[in-house]
Amino acid sequence: MNLNILWFILLAVIILGWSVMDGFDYGVGGLLKFIAKNDNERRYVINSIGPVWEGNQVWLILGGGAVFAAFPFVYAAIFSGFYLAMMLVVWLIIFRAVSFEFRSRVESTGWRNFWDSSITVTGLGIALLFGVAIANILMGIPLNKEHIDYQSLFSLLNIFGLVGGLISLSMFLMHGSTYLIMKTEGGIQKRARVFASGFAYAYIIFTILFLLLSLVFAQRLLNNSFGIIGDIVPIIMIIGGIGVIVSAKSLKSDIKPFAYSVLGIVGAVASLAVGIFPDIVPSSINPKYSLNIYNSASNHLTLFVMLIATIIGLPLVLIYAFYAYKKFGLKVKMDESSY
Amino acid sequence: MDSLALILARFQFGMTAFFHFIYPPLTIGLGVLLVITEGIYVYSKNQDYLRITRFFAKLFAINFVVGVATGIVMEFQFGTNWSQYSSYVGAIFGAPLAIEGLFAFFMESIFVGVMLLGWNRLSPKAHWVSTIFVAIGSALSGVWILVANSWMQTPRGYKIGLNGIPKMTNFWHVVFNPYFPFEFIHVITGAWEYGAFFMAGVASWFLIKNNKDMVMRKALKIAVIVGVVVACFQIVFGDISAKEVVKYQPTKLAMMEALWHSKRYAPETLFALPNNKTQSNGPHIAIPGLLSMLAYMNPAAKVMGFNKSINYINHKYDLKLTPAMFPPVWIVFWSFHIMMYLGFYFAAVMIIALILLLKNKLYDNRKILKVFLFSTFLPLVALELGWFTTEIGRQPFTVYGLLTTVKSVSPNVSASDVGLSIFMFILIYITLASFAIFLFKKELKERLEGKDELAGEVSNKAKANANAKAKEVLS
Repeated sequence: MNLNILWFILLAVIILGWSVMDGFDYGVGGLLKFIAKNDNERRYVINSIGPVWEGNQVWLILGGGAVFAAFPFVYAAIFSGFYLAMMLVVWLIIFRAVSFEFRSRVESTGWRNFWDSSITVTGLGIALLFGVAIANILMGIPLNKEHIDYQSLFSLLNIFGLVGGLISLSMFLMHGSTYLIMKTEGGIQKRARVFASGFAYAYIIFTILFLLLSLVFAQRLLNNSFGIIGDIVPIIMIIGGIGVIVSAKSLKSDIKPFAYSVLGIVGAVASLAVGIFPDIVPSSINPKYSLNIYNSASNHLTLFVMLIATIIGLPLVLIYAFYAYKKFGLKVKMDESSY
Repeated sequence: MDSLALILARFQFGMTAFFHFIYPPLTIGLGVLLVITEGIYVYSKNQDYLRITRFFAKLFAINFVVGVATGIVMEFQFGTNWSQYSSYVGAIFGAPLAIEGLFAFFMESIFVGVMLLGWNRLSPKAHWVSTIFVAIGSALSGVWILVANSWMQTPRGYKIGLNGIPKMTNFWHVVFNPYFPFEFIHVITGAWEYGAFFMAGVASWFLIKNNKDMVMRKALKIAVIVGVVVACFQIVFGDISAKEVVKYQPTKLAMMEALWHSKRYAPETLFALPNNKTQSNGPHIAIPGLLSMLAYMNPAAKVMGFNKSINYINHKYDLKLTPAMFPPVWIVFWSFHIMMYLGFYFAAVMIIALILLLKNKLYDNRKILKVFLFSTFLPLVALELGWFTTEIGRQPFTVYGLLTTVKSVSPNVSASDVGLSIFMFILIYITLASFAIFLFKKELKERLEGKDELAGEVSNKAKANANAKAKEVLS
């Protein structure tokens, strides 16, 4: 195994880290307006992610930095090629971040409703756009000889991209619901169980639809570099979804649905990685113009230094996160310093 | 790529960087002051210091979140607006950004949640440790971001590869490039200076209203003690940073000092109206020999002028730059000079305040309190002007001597796209800043009206209230 392959795997791990650790923040945000009926309930739901969302968000920043350092050509092609879409994501992220902080500081219904709507809309928006972008990359984007993409924002909005967006949307909402099952009690938890299985059904249906559409739009999924083994990886997504449906209804465990949801996400990221390897951004104009793990990568020393940094840094991150989660306990408890 | 798109992309970068940098220095500066005030509380058990910490932590929280939100734009815009830059130097420039995320930003962001929401969940000592982690994390963020920036000023540790793209050859040479140590010290000291003036300004606001406010008296005292040390050292660090410019970026130095022609006994110009077309300074005030003295410790030393410095780098890097490619000198000159004058002003204010403090007259002296109130955000002005100096002064390069700005921009992003996003960003930034100011003021007013930071802990009524609410949720 060489450093390029290793960095491809590490990138998948970071995307997985973001989806698992930050995904429920978007899911919980997206659910806020629907699952919580009054101000007390909404505060309760927000505080389920209150102490941790800020740390979780760093996965996104780490992802940006890691692509920049390890595969600079990918970073340049995707971020400039998806210019307005990226801007849209950035605006959503900005509003989402300040919403949590601003919301509970003023005791006015109008003020709080505004920020609650902002939390919900930005959560749903980011969850959707993530899948739209990924599906378009899987399908291939019009990279020319210089690896530059001149398409417009609206070309991202095609049927395949949209179904991809619905997968990530239902995935994050499912993940957020299972997180709430784990973190809350009482009425919210009851509703979260219903939402979790509902979104798990949606997740399974959209996944199957996506796989069928991929036979037309992205045959690389079927003809992936790993043959038959690669073809069956998406089944993990469906197993995760079924696990959520079953465990959310059983009332026995508050943690199992979340665990199955994580499995579903692992399946999604693994399917993506297997389906796209060894390319990172396929070109729809000519396969020769595609950016792959070799022609888009930094030189050996950069990849090596970054690998060492990751080996030292990532465990530290997990230790910090573990400490933070432990200090705030499994179930949400409100006090005067809560949001 | 048309030139309008380039101009807009440059404007957008400047705007994004400017707006982002409003926030992180306060995170870094106030972070350290919170470590100090909370530390005093932990060891003295004096509740007033806990009150200071908790009150300023509220302001810290508002500032922090806007800083993070605007920081994401900073990281992404290299790829969106400067894709040629990104693919050209990503192998080197991207590394410190990723390392920042891994080693600094995670620490800062995870512990900020623990710190802001964990007052009742951690022992005072454990909480203090969280605050320390936040402060260390934010300072480390500064380290890696400034590694990235200083590398753009004095690129080292690379070799141009066969494909014409720089490859990293030595990571430590990249990190410890010549600019890095003093750029970092200068910026971080500026952030602490801002933290001290911010705390002093806010405390003075309260003391002007009520000078028997014992909590804010203590806050002002801490701010002055920290501020006087930091502000005096900053003058020295500023001088050393300028000497680095002398060594490595002659074009920037010529613009900072509005020195058009090479000279022995080069003057330090204090006031001028530099004009690029006529290459003259108009009406000006200058002290002969002082620039030579500051730059080389020798009043007779020759300092390179604007035109000569351009020839020099053309020769050194095998380029064909003309004076017309350089920015208006007056921007760099005045950014640098106002920052410098502010630096002296800060030290003077802090020294006077320290004397008053020692004479026990600080809290009754309304004049100095008003000066502090007026100066609350002035260090921020100095910090931004410092960035103007270093970033505009580096033009026409993005990476000094290696890559020009013209060759850095995204070729596939149209002027209309950039224009649209600038419009949206201005709208969002103004909204965010307005909300942040509104919430700052609200916290100040509530405290003035008698809201006590520790009420939640002490009052049983509030506890009962929270319990009742929780029960309502659970039912």
